[in-house]
Amino acid sequence: MTPAPLAAHPAADAPAPVATHCPYCALQCGMDLAPAAPGGPPGAVAADGREALPVTVAPRQFPTNGGGLCQKGWTSATVLRATDRLTTPLVRGADGRLAPTSWDAALDLVAGRLAALAAEHGPGAVAVFGGGGLTNEKAYTLGKFARTVLRTPNIDYNGRFCMSSAAAAGNRAFGLDRGLPFPVTDLGGADAILLLGSNVAETMPPFVQHLAGARAAGGLVVVDPRRSATARLADPSPGSGQGLGEGVHLQPVPGTDMVVLLALLHVLLAERLADREYLAERASGFDDVARSVAAWWPERAETVCGVPAEELRRVARLLAAASPSRGGRGAYVLTGRGVEQSAQGTATVTAAINLALALGLVGRVGSGYGCLTGQGNGQGGREHGQKCDQLPGYRRIDDPAARAHVAAVWGVDAGSLPGPGLPAVALLTSLGTPGGPRALLVHGSNVVVSAPNADRVRERLAALDLLVVCDVVPSETALLADVVLPTTQWAEEEGTMTNLEGRVLRRRRATAPPGAARSELWILAELARRLGSDVAFPTDPADVFDELARASAGGVADYSGLSHARLDAHEADGAGLYWPCPATPDSAAQESSEPPGVMARRRSDSSRGEHPGTPRVFLDRFATPDGRARMVVVDHAGPADDVRPDAPVHLVTGRVLQHYQSGAQTHRVPELERLVPEPYVELHPLLGLRVGVGDGALARLASARGVIEATARWTDAVRPDTVFMPFHWSGAGSVNRLTTDAVDPVSAMPEFKVCAVSVTPVVEPGPAVEPVETQEVRA
Amino acid sequence: MSHEPHEGLRVPHRVVVVGHGMVGARLADELSRRDADGALDVTVLGAEPYEPYNRVLLSDVVAGRTDVAAIGMPTVDDGRTRVLRGTAAAAVDRDARVVLADDGTRHPYDHLVLATGAVARLPDVPGLGVDPGALPAGVHALRTLDDAREVVAATVNAPRAVVVGGGVLGVEVALGLAGRGLPTTLVHGAGAPMDRQLDHEAGAVLRAGLEAAGVAVRTGVRPQEVLVVGGRAVGVRLDGATAEPGETLGAGLVVLACGTAPETALARRAGLAVERGVVVGPDLASVSDPRVFAVGDCAQPPEGSRGLVAEGWDQARRLADALVALAARPRPVPPRPEGPREHLRLPGDGASPSMAVRLGTLLSSRAPGAAAGVDTRGTDVVKVKAGPLSVVAMGRCGTGRAPAPGERAVRLGDPVAGRYVEVVVADGVLVGATCVGDPRVAADLTAAYTRRTPVPADPAFLLLTPVMATAEPASSPEHMPDDATVCRCNGVTKHDIAACVADGASTKDDVARATRATTGCGSCTEAVCGLVGWLGVARKEAVTSG
Repeated sequence: MTPAPLAAHPAADAPAPVATHCPYCALQCGMDLAPAAPGGPPGAVAADGREALPVTVAPRQFPTNGGGLCQKGWTSATVLRATDRLTTPLVRGADGRLAPTSWDAALDLVAGRLAALAAEHGPGAVAVFGGGGLTNEKAYTLGKFARTVLRTPNIDYNGRFCMSSAAAAGNRAFGLDRGLPFPVTDLGGADAILLLGSNVAETMPPFVQHLAGARAAGGLVVVDPRRSATARLADPSPGSGQGLGEGVHLQPVPGTDMVVLLALLHVLLAERLADREYLAERASGFDDVARSVAAWWPERAETVCGVPAEELRRVARLLAAASPSRGGRGAYVLTGRGVEQSAQGTATVTAAINLALALGLVGRVGSGYGCLTGQGNGQGGREHGQKCDQLPGYRRIDDPAARAHVAAVWGVDAGSLPGPGLPAVALLTSLGTPGGPRALLVHGSNVVVSAPNADRVRERLAALDLLVVCDVVPSETALLADVVLPTTQWAEEEGTMTNLEGRVLRRRRATAPPGAARSELWILAELARRLGSDVAFPTDPADVFDELARASAGGVADYSGLSHARLDAHEADGAGLYWPCPATPDSAAQESSEPPGVMARRRSDSSRGEHPGTPRVFLDRFATPDGRARMVVVDHAGPADDVRPDAPVHLVTGRVLQHYQSGAQTHRVPELERLVPEPYVELHPLLGLRVGVGDGALARLASARGVIEATARWTDAVRPDTVFMPFHWSGAGSVNRLTTDAVDPVSAMPEFKVCAVSVTPVVEPGPAVEPVETQEVRA
Repeated sequence: MSHEPHEGLRVPHRVVVVGHGMVGARLADELSRRDADGALDVTVLGAEPYEPYNRVLLSDVVAGRTDVAAIGMPTVDDGRTRVLRGTAAAAVDRDARVVLADDGTRHPYDHLVLATGAVARLPDVPGLGVDPGALPAGVHALRTLDDAREVVAATVNAPRAVVVGGGVLGVEVALGLAGRGLPTTLVHGAGAPMDRQLDHEAGAVLRAGLEAAGVAVRTGVRPQEVLVVGGRAVGVRLDGATAEPGETLGAGLVVLACGTAPETALARRAGLAVERGVVVGPDLASVSDPRVFAVGDCAQPPEGSRGLVAEGWDQARRLADALVALAARPRPVPPRPEGPREHLRLPGDGASPSMAVRLGTLLSSRAPGAAAGVDTRGTDVVKVKAGPLSVVAMGRCGTGRAPAPGERAVRLGDPVAGRYVEVVVADGVLVGATCVGDPRVAADLTAAYTRRTPVPADPAFLLLTPVMATAEPASSPEHMPDDATVCRCNGVTKHDIAACVADGASTKDDVARATRATTGCGSCTEAVCGLVGWLGVARKEAVTSG
């Protein structure tokens, strides 16, 4: 039976619930949306005086979530009827206020201004900023619009802040970047999981189920400067270091995770625990890497990373014992933003990959390396061409063959496609500067809260001639815009999302959008038409997907064997298909056009002769020219903005369970907002006593870039040399006003996760923090 | 002769590095990384036939903790740098700016770097012979890979071992040999091992730790003679206050760990100023010749040297920057105005570096403002590689530490548990510490010392792992606070569940329907079941009694 969109089930007595996935993170928990009866759904979701919600959420059995949902998922329907939901286009008037207008007026205005700016300053004067929450169809169309209609090289997206370091390291080592190159459920069978820089217990709670096997084996190793909720799963007893049954928590100095990895590899080699047979067969570059880690014996590593040498040895032995070459049931190395959002993020992920390769894990069933993708479509978002250096199918924009293929699909001349543009931080920094972009289109991103050095971002946006923001709610960024265009979201649209495992999932429409909200697919098609483009822009998501699939054919991320119809059919008796999934199975002639090394496990069980998709990549070979994984020498350099006498404390940032990213969605859910209503800073009591900031008092944090204030929470979960702040807020407690925009030299990912601050008590609240202007929306 | 670059004609700047050990090889690597366009022409002369290896780990090789194949260090492989292994420098003609090698080859230079390291110091006692290169069989220093291999080989047949010298290396080797099951005695002249880093009390705790690990420790004694029969060592005769007259320790293996002396013979012959080591200024240039530099153990910089490899690596980094700048702009760089930061200036105590190549920390070199002054950072942390026995000392520490105004020293002595911690605080930062027997505290202290992060208002808090004085999470439902979160995924408190039970919920599923508890990751299922059970009973009792 094929689950189908709501439209296929016209008014029945009890309409079938629509099977879709959660609007938030990359775990993409399965959920059912039941149309609510008029008068509002039962339960506690609807708050007093709020419009009744159009659907009711129920968890659905799906491999990633096992029938679980976190509080964000349970309450996700509330965002559909946010009290300030955008329902009509807004244009900033002569009085400086945003005022409602018609679509025609808004689109004519935008098209006219874009055309004028491009005519005066060249096509690069218009920039586009996308998001990892957009569906595959929207991300693809956005990239196509930028390259064929605007012809600007300047398009990048907020995934540059999330996934770019892991992507760069994965591509370099394996020739292919799929967050988890294996089904997430495989994790459950492992004896050990090394988790670096990821607080899954808060960021994707149902994921914790997949750690159960390793916990039962005493093999969950969490590397985090904080004793986070996830670290507590491994070692509930602070400071004992004895790993009470479920694992080990290593608590390095912020910015030194890489040293932990280098030392673990050192121990494997010193104690002859590496899988030499695997390395000889499947990897290259091992000898140089082995020599490079000779300098990181555990005692030296301890003096840099603050993790006792014997704990490093113990963890290395634990991982080795779990590895297949030593008879274990399997081991995984997983990285998250904590280690990736660093000026040495690509190198740190490379060190993690080197470790996994030395253990002989990658490309073996039941073991592996993976990165935990963050945003809902953080995987698909980095495959379809909204990155500044990329075309659909995870192709490089500077590859002539890729340009020719994609240009042919788009019906344009390959020579007309622009080359690589500026990556996110450089793009934002260049806005409104001489020679820089004069106009910016923002889709699915709230850059004044989520980008580093946020005060500068705000300043650059103010320097633009035109800022257009497409969003569902008036985010902080939307409030700065000249034109705001209301879009559909999640339960109001059809499309696909590619989750953290590379599994392509269907997002389905369960309710109509409110007011005049329209899909970005329609908006971009309308703009293209007004800008005089003759390039076709389909607006039906299924049609867009078919075109995306053709554009991806032969690329690394090959979707050409997929369609909405096939995904729907497959979901009835399966649980989604993994890319690569080329259109042409079994044909030897086509095999050579596949990306090298992607060994689809080819079975002929599909009666239609379709490619079965690829749940596990790398089993036979890696996607490199010689089929071997490349080990690359990396070394530790430390944070770009390290502690110093006038900023002697490390600041680390992260998330809380109740909020998501910039909070544009979750701040509008009263149930979540009630639990975590305001920004706060965690600090150790010893630091609090030293600097005179009591528990519950207001603390002032200053970095080389900005000053903010937040309520202090005393906890021994942070090191005494470190403070922690969640990043979900704008205004006086917006931690990204402090973070550094130093970037990784390979991936251009900013170093969100560590910078140096001073911490002082606030005697008179307010004056030191410059207020942030906010614009009211005129009713 | 003179080799000056000319306008418009690019002549590579010739750098000759004498020494291919940990620091010489690191320098070659640092130069290669910085010189993408071939402005430098680098030649490295190494006396040993091997590729560079990590000398610090030789004691781990002896202990069997490290595979000897795993200590090879990176070699420069850029196609430009010439590395001549097994080629020793015999002389330097500074007028002609050329190095003469022992194979007769000549190596002209624009700049010469001496990285000749140090040699093991041998006690002047009968039995060792006059030629330090030809010790009797069974007697070894531990300076080279060959030494380590021979010591390991000797452990097979020797019935007993004596380690002479109770500094860091002696302690490491004695523990390593004892760990191999060889009866081992550590012989040390001072009153306690590692007296340069540890005060008496800390030394006593270390001594107890050594003895617990099977090492016999003899302090206050020196070797009077190494007894040799038929060219082979059979024992060591002791001398000293605590030795019996004529007392002899039988040993088929004698390891000499008596410190090192900078290898300066080449520099002396070349007429460079040499005191303990090659005398260099803050820019690492010889005070006698601005074209000659010295780094690592052979150098004597103004801030002093402790013989730590981190110091040498830090010097290699600084010198590589300077040489690349010189190649780009061939004029001597003026000496930098400032000396090292005050608290990092080490006392010029004249003591020769320990034989152990100890370790330290090379922190970020990218912090803003790092350009000012000679920027050596936190390179004086001494951590013994002793497996489970944790011994760390840094900065202001040891018996040599005279009390200084403004310093506060706080101690924790716990000899029965094998623990001793001392912290020295000045101006709100940690300026020194000693920590024996508590690896976590040691790691925290090292981080605080090297980064100068703020220390607690009361330094006594530094003596323990800083855990908040809160009760353990309640394990039983009745002791759980009312506002305790039971289900994290859905933010459900004990209070919420209690309210639910009061409304008639009697199973986990009832609670899940009403509150969503257990519907996230499922970790709290057991806790919720426990609460529902306990609350249900409590409710019934209340109903019954009410």
